[in-house]
Amino acid sequence: METDVLGHPVTPTEEELLALYGALKALAGRADLPPCAARNVRKALACLWQVVTDLDLRFEQLYDLGV
Amino acid sequence: MPTSYSPYWNPKNETLPRDELRALQLYKLRNLSEWAYARSPFHRRRFDAAGYRPAQLKTLDDLRRIPLMTREEWMASQLERPLFGDLLATQEVNAIRYHLTSGSSGRVPIRVLDSTKDWEWISELWCYGLWGFGVRPEDVVYFAFGYGSFIGFWGAHYGAEKLGALVIPGGAQSTENRVRQILEMGVTTVCSTPTYAFRLCQQATEMGIDLATDSRVDKLIVSGEPGGCIPAVRRRLEQAWGARCGDVAGMTEIGTLVVFECAHQPCGTHIIEDHVLEEVLHPERGEPVGYGELGERVVTSFGRAFMPLIRYRSRDMVMKVPHTTCGCGRTSDLYAGGIRGRWDDMQLIRGTNVYPRAVEEIVREHDAVDEFQIYIWRQDDLRDEITVRVELKPNRVAEWPELREKLAAALSSAHEGLRFNVDQVACGTLPRFELKAKRLVDGRPMTARGG
Repeated sequence: METDVLGHPVTPTEEELLALYGALKALAGRADLPPCAARNVRKALACLWQVVTDLDLRFEQLYDLGV
Repeated sequence: MPTSYSPYWNPKNETLPRDELRALQLYKLRNLSEWAYARSPFHRRRFDAAGYRPAQLKTLDDLRRIPLMTREEWMASQLERPLFGDLLATQEVNAIRYHLTSGSSGRVPIRVLDSTKDWEWISELWCYGLWGFGVRPEDVVYFAFGYGSFIGFWGAHYGAEKLGALVIPGGAQSTENRVRQILEMGVTTVCSTPTYAFRLCQQATEMGIDLATDSRVDKLIVSGEPGGCIPAVRRRLEQAWGARCGDVAGMTEIGTLVVFECAHQPCGTHIIEDHVLEEVLHPERGEPVGYGELGERVVTSFGRAFMPLIRYRSRDMVMKVPHTTCGCGRTSDLYAGGIRGRWDDMQLIRGTNVYPRAVEEIVREHDAVDEFQIYIWRQDDLRDEITVRVELKPNRVAEWPELREKLAAALSSAHEGLRFNVDQVACGTLPRFELKAKRLVDGRPMTARGG
């Protein structure tokens, strides 16, 4: 079962947010995106990073992805 | 858009039980110190010198194993390895923004870099504060701010945009034009320093405008100086604007606001404890002080890891009180009276400690005062003197003789009988400020200053 950083089970909504965050991280790691996609994915990932941080779902750094 | 909103920007964490909040802080602190040790030569060097390893962090009390970080160390690192020193934990190419401290202390400014996600975080913390004071998507928010390299209200601008308000950047224009724009655009919320909020009122009065009745402003959010939590300053601002006045504070070194006053206006500022860890230590001995005791604010930022800030000595003077002091339901502790000034602002005059904030508290009690300045000088190369220069409102100059006596007595009484000189200066002669006000002028020889 998926948990937050304090070990609590996540809600279905939080699961959705985590899935979106994971998908954006995967996209930001790809080298084949055109500039318009690469940079906007990073902006979107920064927003989702903020959501998962605010909700205590994840806490990590994304500088190596250029975010 | 919903017509009723949560009073909290982040209901989950703003009402988190204290034990869970501390567990969250420990998790983040461990993660951040591991990151800093692995990636920042500055922190690795300091941690090694102190014999600290992130794995030693088992409880929050263990944080005292982490060495305190000073501005002087940071400046020295910058000077040794221009431009940013060896504090950086990632490559400069990952940055999207450069800012520097205001330089109001007269020292070498601190240079900072931030990434895309850092700026997301910077604006996010402003959202906590703006939302907490009552700013909503229907609001029109005006920033009376110069938009330069000093970080000032940059984060607030993005925070207000993020929460959906209409943002008006009031940069690069005269005070007169700003007053006109506030009226023309139906502004509901003004963000500025307390000093500049007064300046806008003065300008409006000269233009025949009463901001309390002629504008739609109902919220005034002030930062950059201690004034927002000084009762006399707040009362005068609220009267002049016909608006609620709230205090917020941050620092360039962190990049954003980290304490804010909620809509309950407790004359204290909630600490955003899910994103920062704030300790209050004795300024000389470095031991933690309890609730209700004055101490130095020491900050760890969980948000900006480009240049990690861990146990950073701010020199800010604060008094922490428990979250139950405020009835808003937030579980974050507060700083009663906000940021009360800086420990290094203290001036020693003939053996008595004088803080500019304490002087301002007394001077601002008098509505006839338009502006003031504290001037410290040396008599006959021997004795330190303190003079409060007072500028009265043009229509109130007849009150001077009585006011002078009252001010001299009140200032002396509040400072162990120390004699204050109180002088009147002509209307419009003292400087006005847009950013941080510098009302203390030290005219003593550089080698002989006691403060």
